Amino acid sequence: MSLHWDVVFDNWRIFLDGALLTILLTVTTMALAIPGGLLLAFLRLSPIRAVSLAAAAFVEFFRATPLLLQIYWVYYVLPAAFGIQLDQLTTAIVGLTCNVSAFNSETFRAGILSIREGQWNAGLALGMSRAQVMGRIVLPQAVMRVLPALASTWVSLFKDTSLVAIISVPELSYVSLKLRAETYRILEVLTAVAVIYWLLGYPQAKLVDWIHRRWKVVE
Amino acid sequence: MTHTPILAARDVRKRYGAVVALDGVSLDVERGEVVCLIGPSGSGKSTLLRCLNALETVDSGTVAFEGRDIRAKADDARLVRRRMGMVFQNFELFPHLSVLRNLTIGPTTVLRLDMAEAEQRARALLLRVGLIDKAMVHPSALSGGQQQRVAIARALAMEPALMLFDEPTSALDPETIGEVLAVMKGLADDGMTMVVVTHEMDFARRVADRVVVFDHGRIIEVGPPAQIFEAPHAARTRDFLSHLGWHGESIDIGIKEKT
Repeated sequence: MSLHWDVVFDNWRIFLDGALLTILLTVTTMALAIPGGLLLAFLRLSPIRAVSLAAAAFVEFFRATPLLLQIYWVYYVLPAAFGIQLDQLTTAIVGLTCNVSAFNSETFRAGILSIREGQWNAGLALGMSRAQVMGRIVLPQAVMRVLPALASTWVSLFKDTSLVAIISVPELSYVSLKLRAETYRILEVLTAVAVIYWLLGYPQAKLVDWIHRRWKVVE
Repeated sequence: MTHTPILAARDVRKRYGAVVALDGVSLDVERGEVVCLIGPSGSGKSTLLRCLNALETVDSGTVAFEGRDIRAKADDARLVRRRMGMVFQNFELFPHLSVLRNLTIGPTTVLRLDMAEAEQRARALLLRVGLIDKAMVHPSALSGGQQQRVAIARALAMEPALMLFDEPTSALDPETIGEVLAVMKGLADDGMTMVVVTHEMDFARRVADRVVVFDHGRIIEVGPPAQIFEAPHAARTRDFLSHLGWHGESIDIGIKEKT
């Protein structure tokens, strides 16, 4: 079997564009899914039962169904049922954001609930409002506690962006699969894309580990 | 003009399910007074303290601070808490903030002080509790006694009119209890109004103006320390004190006799 790695080097621009779109999808999704997850977590912790139930239903739907299906659903059902027509990239971001927000909300909720009651009391006893205690005391500690879980979600998201290839978003997987089909260089192209994913993904995981060690809250 | 105590609890009742925590407790605290609440565990002392600054709601009865009913609205409770410092058994310092930031967070967020002024106030208080060299460290680097002194300074940073102490030495190693009690004694000497839930009978005897004895959610005896510790009227006060092994002796824990 002869290997022709030139197919990879000759098409570096395609890989680069795909990788940049993968990074853009990851960063944009997480930038939206962090506030989205926080909002869902707050809604789920609401004392108003209808609000917390609605948030729980949203979260459990997106946690319990396959991401692939969710992307298809946004792509095909939204236009058909509600007349909402989104381009592929927006569809991808909406689908990924709903999914990751659901996971982030559970992460944030667990973090918030892990902060002991005494911290609330200490803040309230200073005359702070509940919102101030949440924002200045509980949430900063909760976020530091759940940073490793958020990091895992981040790395999963980075890899899961490959699923939006099914709606022809030209991210790294899509362009690679297309190149494979055009050149028939299956081994070289798929190996190259695996190496690119790893080279991009591994430092992200290590960076977040470092952030966790650097800013860990010691009690 | 009628005289108004700084803090007045009237017929306060509180249940947790079938458990009666407070069974009609009334207590007045005068300005500058040090009131120690003693009694067996689970007798309602800490619950009363938490009702006094509305961390706990009361089922019936009223609590008024400086003539203002604290139950009226959430905003009223906040106004009251600004003027009423609280020190907890487990310190409850904010572990993600430095010692200095623990002291400035209340004044900057609640009193809207600018940071420079809040820091100046914080440093003066750290000097007072002997921890100015620890301003930039995080609470986890401090001993229990040091953490509790920071917690006292944090409450004082709000310049409260009254301080509540909820068993402030119960979680401390014996060797660090004295340093915390000495800070509290200093506050009392400066005229701070204090309500202290404590098992430190020697502190209560030497520092309190009045001692309140709790049992089963009720106040069973109130009086000056001399009465409570030397000639208690209630049989249950005598029982409680003798169970603690109190026979009127004093232990030198860095507290001078009340003058």
